[in-house]
Amino acid sequence: MRKNVIVLLARQLWQDAFRSKVMLVASTLMLFLLLFSAYTGWENYHDQNFTRDEIQEEVQESWENNPDKHPHRMAHYGSFALRLKHVLSVFDLGMENFVGNAVFLEAHKQNTVNFSEASMSTGLLRFGEVSMAMLLKVIVPLLIFYLGFATIARERENGTLKLLIGQGITRKEIVFGKWLGLWSLSLLFLGAIFLVLLLFVLVESHDTMHSDSIFRYLVLLCAYLMFFGILSAITILISAFSASAKGALVKLLGIWLLFVVIVPKSLQAVGFYLYPTPSKIEMETAVEHDLAQIGDSHDPNDPHFKALKDSVLRVHNVEKVEDLPFNYGGFVMSKGEAMSTKVYLKHQENLYKVYNKQNNVERMSAFINPYTAIKNLSMAFSGTDFQSFLHFKDKAETYRFTLAQEMNQLQMDLIPNKGKAGPNTISSNYWKEFPPFEYHFLSIADVFKNEVISLLALMLWGVLSVFALLRLSTNLKAI
Amino acid sequence: MYRLLFKSFFRTRIFMVSLALLLTVGVIGILIGKQYLVKQEKTIAAAQVFQEESIKKNIQYHSEDLGLLLYYLRFTLIKKPENISAISIGQSDVNPLLQAVTIRALEGQKYDTDFENPSLLISGNLDLGFVIIYLFPLILIAMTFNLYSEEKELGTWRILAAQTSGKAQFLFKKLLVRIVFVFAVLIFLMILASTILQIPMNANFWAIFLLSVLYILFWSALCFWMVTFLKNSSFNALALISIWVVLTILFPALVNNYVINTYQVPEALDAMVEQRDGYHEKWDMKKDITMNGFIGSYPQFIKYEVPEDEFSWIWYYGMQHMGDMAAKETSQEMTDKIMLRNKVSEQIALLVPTMHAQLSFNKLAGTDMVSHLSFLEALTNFHKNLREGFYTKIFDHKSADGVDWQNYKAKFYELDYGFSWLKLLLPYLLTSIIIGVLTSINLRRL
Repeated sequence: MRKNVIVLLARQLWQDAFRSKVMLVASTLMLFLLLFSAYTGWENYHDQNFTRDEIQEEVQESWENNPDKHPHRMAHYGSFALRLKHVLSVFDLGMENFVGNAVFLEAHKQNTVNFSEASMSTGLLRFGEVSMAMLLKVIVPLLIFYLGFATIARERENGTLKLLIGQGITRKEIVFGKWLGLWSLSLLFLGAIFLVLLLFVLVESHDTMHSDSIFRYLVLLCAYLMFFGILSAITILISAFSASAKGALVKLLGIWLLFVVIVPKSLQAVGFYLYPTPSKIEMETAVEHDLAQIGDSHDPNDPHFKALKDSVLRVHNVEKVEDLPFNYGGFVMSKGEAMSTKVYLKHQENLYKVYNKQNNVERMSAFINPYTAIKNLSMAFSGTDFQSFLHFKDKAETYRFTLAQEMNQLQMDLIPNKGKAGPNTISSNYWKEFPPFEYHFLSIADVFKNEVISLLALMLWGVLSVFALLRLSTNLKAI
Repeated sequence: MYRLLFKSFFRTRIFMVSLALLLTVGVIGILIGKQYLVKQEKTIAAAQVFQEESIKKNIQYHSEDLGLLLYYLRFTLIKKPENISAISIGQSDVNPLLQAVTIRALEGQKYDTDFENPSLLISGNLDLGFVIIYLFPLILIAMTFNLYSEEKELGTWRILAAQTSGKAQFLFKKLLVRIVFVFAVLIFLMILASTILQIPMNANFWAIFLLSVLYILFWSALCFWMVTFLKNSSFNALALISIWVVLTILFPALVNNYVINTYQVPEALDAMVEQRDGYHEKWDMKKDITMNGFIGSYPQFIKYEVPEDEFSWIWYYGMQHMGDMAAKETSQEMTDKIMLRNKVSEQIALLVPTMHAQLSFNKLAGTDMVSHLSFLEALTNFHKNLREGFYTKIFDHKSADGVDWQNYKAKFYELDYGFSWLKLLLPYLLTSIIIGVLTSINLRRL
């Protein structure tokens, strides 16, 4: 292959593209959409995080300002965890608007994360949202197809392909020249979007996760570069194997519809159909049932709690719980909290396993649908996938558990048993000592782990594309 | 003439592909609707059992102390399911079907969500509504984009032009054949849906059907208009798919971003904190402060004494009520904001057929945002009635025996399915007529 010939062919594709109306319309449209999505994305990110930060601080302040009281009152007073958006959510909204944003953390109870944007929206949300990633995932592929469907097919129809070959240009050079031209053309859109995104990532430099954000940004950039390379290869291949440019266009449009709209949605539906999930009320019933199996703290004769009591009395060598060196009520509650949390989390984990099975149906289709691979990668590295949400939820639950248990511990240590002399409240200084809820995003290593399949699929597609282009270089029909 | 046109149409590859695609995805859509109904049924059954069992169990332990018993007991209000919702599942997967609440402050319980897989929420349900809104237009585009250009490119147009007097009529007949086919599939799917999903043929069902017909007519008109520009096949395909992308993906998404950003709802988070603080701060205050507020709402309870140095249920439930009162204003603002979002979306949708179809389907199926808000309002009343029914008994230190628990079964809320025909159908009639006029102008030049 001669480098200068390939560059020449690529440049020719650029010239053709810029002469056509499609490119003009597409560029204008993309420019408008880019500005719109960047503006709304940034505004949303900024405003939402501002509100949530403010409320999180307010919550902490009111927690610290509580007067002296019984620690169990504070366990019920509880706290809130508000989900912060990752700066890259400006790029890919992912599930951002479909998962909850705030959860009330209190003793004895795992509350749901509420107030998702979806729960406050009309049915329009299902049409999708405009984000920079959506432009790259959905719109630009269509543009690549528009700009590239005619490349080889029309040259053949016009007979210019034969001329090229007659002039001593090899088939390989034609194929790779066209491919390079189309790919580099698509990088115009990619470049514009990632340049704007870089600005956002850099502006958020007060972020302690700065280097992490840059790393995520680079992974996204590489993934999309590859994705566009694959799409360009598919376009060239279809164009080469179609009898006419019209045939190529119809095929490419069909591929776009299938891979971007119909297949992902159908597979998600199939996953849902195959693996049904329980409703909340069903799971709550199951949790209560399991808890009752272990022991019922309300029942004075319950064997589990009676055994617990007896063993504690024995260890401390006393007759009555009132004589124990710690507050017995606090002790029972701390055991109860540990027990109920364990049971709840077990059920929750089972539920998430089913979700994973549901999602895997679509996730696995990355091997036949590169769009699925880029979709999952893009969400994950933008911190807007399901795993990122679960990470927040886990952290919030851990904080809730620590808070409840810390209050139980304070009760055990500082509150006298029933009938004994001593204060029924403790100093408010203890509240100030308890650290506030702070959220750190999922580490990039974990994101890589979660997305092994998508990464693998994308790479496989990359290899396959180059391989197919090489094959085409030997088989390309001139007439 | 028509017989020949049908024959030649049946021989095309696109006919077979369309038929197979529409039927498969249509049937999948209906089955998904069926599964959704089954899940609803299961959930409702579980909720009914849950309530009965939990009342029984808790009475065992706390029958002497009604105040404590009612601290634990949860009472369920369920949206009465209508099978028509399976056609357009809408927002009913995001918003819970039922809510089980205690008589403590409502604000902290009202917005609890059910468990749903967000990956599924994001891709949306593949219900019959989706098939009609997204796939039917695509099929129409696929069948009509080369209505004229195909003849031109194959060289048959000149022969035809020589043989038929009305060239426009010929094209129109060709289009009609395709529309008839699409309608046949639509009718088949609707009948299938009404049988499998057992949907009664009431006004809402017919409204959905009529709306679908008009929606498809709109797309047919659009396709035909494009055809009458007499461009080549590639141009038509490119243009029509672009229009489809703009109408079903880009434009609604743009509007969605605009609505979400313009009408942000920080009130939701504020109300949540206000309710907690409004309740909890009362523990550290003089009991009078709580009682003055509570008696303000319920003067009939003034006769009850509230000792300052002792716990009493009237004070406790008074505090809970104060939590709701503290958040009331913000909560109302939140509801107003959501209604505003809905109103703006609906108004913009009047101009965009795809959006109008989706919102109208949801409305007719009772799965839109407004239906859920009206459920929440009913829940507030339900909660109020519950509390007020129990207050006197708790404050009088009655035991659990004093309550007829048979009356406390899970309750159903019946949604109002009313709609306005004019608002529903007018936008389509208007757009179809406008496009029709534009088309006939083009046809005159033929």
